[in-house]
Parts: sequence; C-alpha cells; structure tokens
Amino acid sequence: MQMTERLEPALRDGTAGRKWRLGRDRGLLTAAGVLVVLASIILSVSATPLSYYDISQIVSSGTPLAIAGMGQTLVILSGGFDLSAAAVISLVNVSLAALPPDAVTSPVLLLLIGIGIGALVGMVNGALIAFLRLQPIVVTLATMFILQGATLLVMDKPGGVIDASLGEFMGSEVIPGFLPMTGALILACLALWYWLKATPFGIALYAVGGDADSARSAGIATRRARFLTYVLAGGFYGLAGVCVSGQTGAGDPLVGNPMLLQMFAAVVVGGTLLGGGRGGLTGTVIGAFVLVLMVNILLILNVSAYYSTIAESTILLLAVLMGALHRRSELAENLRRAGTRFSAWREGVLARQRTTDVKRLALPRRADGVPADGVRVFGEGQGASLIQRLGRSRPAILLALPAFISFAVVLLATEFMLGNTLLNGNYYNTLLVLSCFLAILALGQGAVILTGGLDLSLPWTIALAGILVSGMAAGSNVELIYAVPFVLLVGALIGLINGTGIVLLGLSPIVMTLATNGFLQGTALIYSGGTPDGFAAPLLRSFMTQRVFGVTPVVIFLGLFVLAAVVLLGRTAFGRRVYAIGNSARAAALSGVPVKRTVVMVYMLSGLCAALVGILLSGLSGQASLGMGDEYLLPSIAAVVVGGTLITGGRGNYAGMLGGVLLLTALQTLLAGTTFPTSVRSIVYGVVILTAVIALRERR
Amino acid sequence: MKRILKTTAMLAGLAAAALGIAAPASAKEGKFKVFLSMSYIGNDWQAEAANMLKAMAVSPGMIDKIDLQVQVAGPNAQKQIQQINSMVQAGADAIVVYPISPTALNGAVKNACAKGVLVIAYDSIITEPCAYNVHIDQRDWGTKSAEWLVQQLGGKGRIVMINGVPGTTVDALRIEGAKEVFAKHPGIQIVGEANGMWSQAVGRTELSKILATRNWDQIDGLWTQVGCYTANSMQNEAGIADKDLRPCVGEASNGGRIQMLPIGTEVEGANGTYRPMGAKRWSSGSQNFTGALALKLAVKKLQGGDIPALTNVPQNIVTNDTIKLCKEGTWKEMSEGCNAFQPAIIPNPGWFASIYSPLTPEVGLQAALVGQPED
Repeated sequence: MQMTERLEPALRDGTAGRKWRLGRDRGLLTAAGVLVVLASIILSVSATPLSYYDISQIVSSGTPLAIAGMGQTLVILSGGFDLSAAAVISLVNVSLAALPPDAVTSPVLLLLIGIGIGALVGMVNGALIAFLRLQPIVVTLATMFILQGATLLVMDKPGGVIDASLGEFMGSEVIPGFLPMTGALILACLALWYWLKATPFGIALYAVGGDADSARSAGIATRRARFLTYVLAGGFYGLAGVCVSGQTGAGDPLVGNPMLLQMFAAVVVGGTLLGGGRGGLTGTVIGAFVLVLMVNILLILNVSAYYSTIAESTILLLAVLMGALHRRSELAENLRRAGTRFSAWREGVLARQRTTDVKRLALPRRADGVPADGVRVFGEGQGASLIQRLGRSRPAILLALPAFISFAVVLLATEFMLGNTLLNGNYYNTLLVLSCFLAILALGQGAVILTGGLDLSLPWTIALAGILVSGMAAGSNVELIYAVPFVLLVGALIGLINGTGIVLLGLSPIVMTLATNGFLQGTALIYSGGTPDGFAAPLLRSFMTQRVFGVTPVVIFLGLFVLAAVVLLGRTAFGRRVYAIGNSARAAALSGVPVKRTVVMVYMLSGLCAALVGILLSGLSGQASLGMGDEYLLPSIAAVVVGGTLITGGRGNYAGMLGGVLLLTALQTLLAGTTFPTSVRSIVYGVVILTAVIALRERR
Repeated sequence: MKRILKTTAMLAGLAAAALGIAAPASAKEGKFKVFLSMSYIGNDWQAEAANMLKAMAVSPGMIDKIDLQVQVAGPNAQKQIQQINSMVQAGADAIVVYPISPTALNGAVKNACAKGVLVIAYDSIITEPCAYNVHIDQRDWGTKSAEWLVQQLGGKGRIVMINGVPGTTVDALRIEGAKEVFAKHPGIQIVGEANGMWSQAVGRTELSKILATRNWDQIDGLWTQVGCYTANSMQNEAGIADKDLRPCVGEASNGGRIQMLPIGTEVEGANGTYRPMGAKRWSSGSQNFTGALALKLAVKKLQGGDIPALTNVPQNIVTNDTIKLCKEGTWKEMSEGCNAFQPAIIPNPGWFASIYSPLTPEVGLQAALVGQPED
C-alpha cells in the first residue's frame, strides 16, 4: 500500500539530512536501469546503426511528454492530481497556431506566451485548490472541460501555421553533434527542479504531499506551497505545448488529449508515488523516455498489430516490477510474511489454531440497551429516534447534498430551456436508463477510489464483456442463462488480477490497471478478429429498451442496484473496511482489517460492475462494438468525485456518487437538446461542475 | 545497481521469449520495405481497412514486390511522429499512414521525404505538401448528403444532427458542407445536435438524450455521420411503422444498407431490426479500401510510375434506388452493382459496407473480413 509509506520520506528527508540512501532513490534507479536496458536492446538489435541524428530525434519526440510529466509530478508530489494538463498542451498549441502570421517571429517570445498561458491556467487551478480548499481532481476535471471548450473556440479543426522560427529553434543544436535544443530544455527544467528542491518551497512541497496537517502544524505555509505548485506545473505544461507546436508547425485541437494517461504512466514508472510526498522529477523524465522507446522496441520486435497493446503492457509491467524486486518491497514483504505464517502453522501457533476461550467483560445492561458505562455501541440503534438517526448520518447527507441540489437546478434549467421536463415521465425514464451505466460503474470505481486507488481498466473490461455476451448469446435468450454469469465471472476475474497485482506485487494501481486495459484490448481484438459478431439476446434488448407501463425494466433494476450499493458500502463489514483502508491502511491493518483481501475484493467489485455495464450496453445497442467502453472512463471518475468522494480515499458515499451520476447525465441531456457548438457545451459543462462544488463546498 | 540491471536484462529477455518474438524482419533482396502506421485499432472501421490493406499486400501481383510491416500508434500523435521517424531509421522505402492529425505529423513527414521515403496517407489527411493523400472529399459528403435530405423533406422540416468526433478535420468539413446547404433553406430547422463520435453505441445514447424532452413527432429527418441503423431501431422500438421511418443520411454500415432494402426482400440471418425495412436512406462512407489503394499507389510510385499528389476517391453513394443485395460479395459481383451483404455473412450490422472500388480488383469481401485477397 502506498498509503502506509507516505509519511516516511518526509521524515527521512528531514532527519537523515543529505546522506545518500539507496532506498530513497530506488524508484529512480530502477527506471534508469530499465531505460538503459531498452536503449541497449534498440542499439544492438536495430538493423541499421543509430546515428546522433536518430537519437536526437527520439529525444525531441519524447520531450513534450517528459516536460509535461515533470509538471504532473510536481502536482502529485504535493498530494494532488491534475487532469487539465493535457488540455493545456492543446490550448497552447492552437493559441500559437492562431496568432496572425508574422505577428510574433521570436521563438523566445512564443516560448514565453506558451508558458504564460500554462501558468495562468495553473493560477486558476491553484487558487481554487489552495484558497478555496477544493479537491484537486474535481477542479482540474472542470478546468479540463473548460480548456477543451476554449481550445475548440480558438480552432474547431486542425490548421493554422506556427511561425517557422519556433520549429527551427526547437530543431537547433546547443552543442552540435552532442546536445539538441530539446534535450537542453529538459536539462534546464531539471536544473530548475534541483534548485527548487533545496529552497523552502521544495521542502514545503514534499511536506504538504507527505502530510498536509503535520506540515501546517510545523509552520509551513501550505496554501502558498500548493498554489505555487499548480502555477509551476502549468508553466511546465505550457512549455510542453510549445515543444509540440515547434515539432508540428501547426495547430490541432486534439493534439494533447491522449497524453494524459501517458503522463501518469511516466510519473509512476519514474518512481513517484501517487498520493504525494515521495519521488521526483528526474524519475519522470526517465519514465517518459521508457514509454517513448517502446515505439522503437515494438518496431524492432515486429509485434503484430493486434498484439501491440499486449506487448506494450507487458513491457510497462516488467519495467515497474523491477521496483518490486528488492529486499524491502511489497513482494518481498509478502513472501516473508507468508513464510512466517507457514512456519507458525507448522508449529501450530497460528492464532486460529489455538483453542480460544472467549472472555468478554460482563457489563450490566441498563433497561434502554445502553451499556452501563454510557458508551453507545454502534449498530445498536433500535432505540434511537428518527431524528437521532438522521443526526448520525448528517455528515453523509451533507456530503451527498451538493450533487443533488445541483441536479435539481439542472432539472429546472432544462424545463426552462427545453420545456417538457419536470412533469414528463419519459424524461425521467430516459434519464435513468442513460444513468444506469455510470451509476453501476460508480459503485466499483467509487469503492476503488475510497481505498485510494483508481481503476483504468474499465474501458476494455466493458468492451470485452459486451463482445463476449453478444458472441455467446448470438441473439438467443436461452444462452443468457450461462452467458451472463460467465461474463460477470470474467469481470470479477479481471478485478482479481488487478487486485492481486496491486496487493501482492505492490504495483501502483494506475500502472496495473492501465496494463490490464492493454491486455484486454489485445484480447478483445484477437477474440473478435477486429469485427465483433453476434447479437444481444432479445430479452436483454427489451430489458434495456422496452417500456412496461412507461417504465423500462432496467430502471427497476437500477433502483434495486442502488439500494444494494448503499447497503454494501454503508451497512456491511466490507463497506466499513473500505472506508477504514481509505482513511489509513496502516491503522486499518493494525485494527485487524484484512486490508489485502479487502483491496482485492474492491477491484473484483469494480471488474464485476464494468462487466455488468458491458452486458447492459450491448443490450441497449443491440450488439457489441470494439470501442464501446472508451467513453466511460473519465465520466466514471467524474461522477464519483463530483458526488463528494475524496480521491485520496476514505470519504464519500454511494448516495453522493449517485447524485454525481444524475447531475452529469442530466447536464449532458440538457446540452444535447440545445444547438450550442461543442466548444460552448464543453465550457458550460466545466463551469457547472465548478460552480456546484464551489457554491456548496464544505465550510470549515 | 548492477543487480537491478541484471534482473532487468533477464526479465526483458524473458518477456521477449514469452511473446514469441521472432528475429527482426530484414528486407529481403529485391523487395520494397513498406511500413503501415495505423492510428487507433480499437474500432470496426480501422480493423476492416487494415484487413483490406493486408490482403492487398499478399495479393498475387504484390506479394513478391513488398515486405509489409504493420505498427499501431494508438490515438496519440506524438507517438505516431516517433513511429514515422523510427520507420525512416529502419530503412523504409515507403510509409503508408492513417494520420492521427492532419498537421501534427508534418515535421516528421517532411523529414521522411527529405530522406527519400515515400509517405502516403489514406482516409484522413496530411497537409505537408510532399505527402500523397488518398481519400474522399469530406466536404462534398456533407453537401451531397444534406441536399438529399432537404429534397426528401421538400425543403421544410425539423432535423437532428449527430456529428462525429469534434476537433477533427473530417467532422468539421462534413458539418460545414451540410450546414451551408441547410442555411440555404430557411424551412429547415436544426432542433438538436450531438457528438456521436462515429460510433453506433454513442449515437444511440446521444439520440436518447435529445429524445428525452422531445418525441419522434417533432423530428422530420436525421443527418448523422454514423447512426441511421440505430435511429431506425429506436423508431421501431417507439412503435413507428417501417413505412413511416424518418429519412436518414449517414455512413455505410451494412445494418443500415440492409434496412434500405424493400420490405419483403429475402435475406439470410436477419435479426431484430437488422432486416429489410424499406427505410428512406442516403448511405455513403469513408471508403475502407483507401488503405489498400494507397499501398497499390505507393508500389506503383516505387517502381517508377507516376501518381497524383491527391487521389480523390469518388464517393459510392447508395440510395433506395440503387441498393442491391450481394450474394457472395466477390469484387466481380460488386462491380456489377451490388452494395449490401447478407446478415448471415456479416453478423455485425455496424460493419462498414463501403469496400468496392473499380481501382482495387485485388480485394473484395474476404479481404475486408479476414485479409484474404481475391483469387
């Protein structure tokens, strides 16, 4: 668990001083080792020898990812999460391309404009996060949508020209035959970082990420440190955008978007821990180049197209697994523990092998059921009045309320703008049918997020489930009897693999689930041969599309699902364990919570939910298609966090997530009914999310 | 450090062995080394186009001339830039590319041209002047489709637009062409617009959102890039009879083509709404054979022939007047005018049926399905 180790580096940084330790730099060294191995494979196997020119080109194409990754690392070190990073790159790219020809012909000026735009966005993010104390992931999610809209406003399709001077500048050599300009930029950023790290800001950054409360108590200006982090990170993204622009010489409103997940992968491969406090920017640069070299490796190895995501994921996993092969790693720890348990079992001294004699303190009970010491035992609420019960769940209600209030506002706005809403049964039915996918995903993704993880394998779990269920049922109802349980089992199995990798091997959830997603994509392509066939069974189709007394059957199912989900997270031992782990994995473990088993179960739940969505989605569409899960990853995270769940874990409930789902779906429905251009819709979407969380934020 | 390196090397070796990777392909004597850089492989259109291209590469006239190696860049332009660079480095004679971005690759393409490598793009566009392009005129797609819809509606009616992926050139050009036509007819009113992302599944959810506050009585026609098959299915679910289906404009999915056949046409393997409905349709697609054609042109150029900088592939517009069911789907049969395939052969209604070109007799239905050239 990354959570448990979060405090240590901050302490070590403070006490161990400048003494060099292998343990602290292990992540960095591992990444460097992997990079060296990949590079030597390329150098030795390549058909034609690589010249300085080829290498400088590899450096150039990796530079945007490396620099943007550095910015993201700063945010992650501070304990945050920045989803707007890739959108900044696109915005800078189109802004530079939209400048009138010959208006700015100085590369330095273009560089400053780009960095300026990035820093400006960073200031907005930073102000909202540091001074209004909003969750980084919600704020940056909202700004991501706003920036994407703004990007489309500037340029709705690829085009424009970026002054040639920038391309020449980026392609120039600082030391001819030795150091290209892009390489020099990376080195300059690293130099800036090593200087920053030694300043009070650098120390504050690690301290805030390690433990914000302790940092504040120790007299560190945490708000200023956070604010500065986002401004700096924004500057890095801006610079990355300028590098992209120099390379491409023109604008493309979508150029940055796919870099987001890659950026996170680069950060994690580089040895920085999610959740903050440990890692550094050098590792990220190396991590970025590990990812970049994969293109060359796949080319050299001539991996066939359908297998390419599988090969890529394998390399990614192996690269990160290196970090798990040392004496103090999670894996070694697990093996040692298993060994100890085994020898204890042989000696017969395991706790459960002992005959236990339950000894409870016999406390005299009062008539109203409250023990004599006056401590109310949790769960013994039979005697409590409704008011008392409500009072007890007040924090939970407060957490869920903002999403529902915003939902109501969106409903009113829909009535006002489109009419035929508030009293229209069809509207609610459609809304609930469309919400069911996100509502189901939110349970799985939400539980994962509560334990401080993230499940990025949803898209291809959904697609594979849809393809399997349609292929097996092939348009017949009887086959559903075994197809549905089988596919749900596959979903749970995918979760089991995710959970095992995370718990037993100690891999970062981001890397593990990203790799699983790649494996699943390859599997789906190979299984379907590129064209999935078969039909959803008629029963499944009617379940999703027919109306019985004006209500689609899935809506009833959704109601039952919501009840079950609320009970599962709020009223069962499993649910309480999830929260306990999210609050502190170590504290939970010490209190006897089976942390590992629970985490594995959480990922299984997520896999199960994704498989269920795949089945239902194929029922709605009538058949499965390859990319059918692609549109659900970000919304699943968005719904969970807009509903009040803390991405760093431990806080949130299903009612809130459901509110988030309803809000987002209703908002999309409202926007789809208008004829606003995409740019405006995206901006409205972001602004509504932002206003909702600002206006209804928790006040201290 | 040394130990880490050692384990790393060991594991990397293991990985290579586990994946069963063969020794790097070296160009055989006398063969052109051609690379294909695909963008995203996770959708039906791309998979089908790649199948056709692979079939072309192993067709009798080609198999002795080229050595084709396929790589996937995913949706990331940065990655494709590097892929093109490393293909040039690996000694490519020609690079066939599905460009992720019309502009972002320009630097890499220019560099490839400078090194004497032929770069040819299919379906989408590369704006760098030294690259060759093979695609349909997307703006014209928008204009023609909109004109047909306006004519069907008699110049008056409320329409819904389901667009593609916002921010792409293809989407922008199609919308531009269509809206220009709609603007000329004041009787045409656009009542809803959504991004269908060129996916039947997304098209369905977006159309449902539009219909949450409206009903079908308030919609007279649909202009979609991908989504007519789904729209017709939804109308059926809402109790609208086949003969009252709203006229719809869209891509060339086989499901949509089958729905265009007159009611009562005998087809094998019909299922649900994947059946002849006599639906009023205009169907034309981004052609799936453009990749195969690009490869053919590249080889022609490598052999010293002349090819135009832009091969503007004519559209293959199918309306209710020209719809015709194929028996087997050989190239010869398609050249005689058939343009829809039996559901029994194509179980996926989302499969794209725009595979015929008089310029590519090497590839037919088997090419699109399993990558086998015509005999």
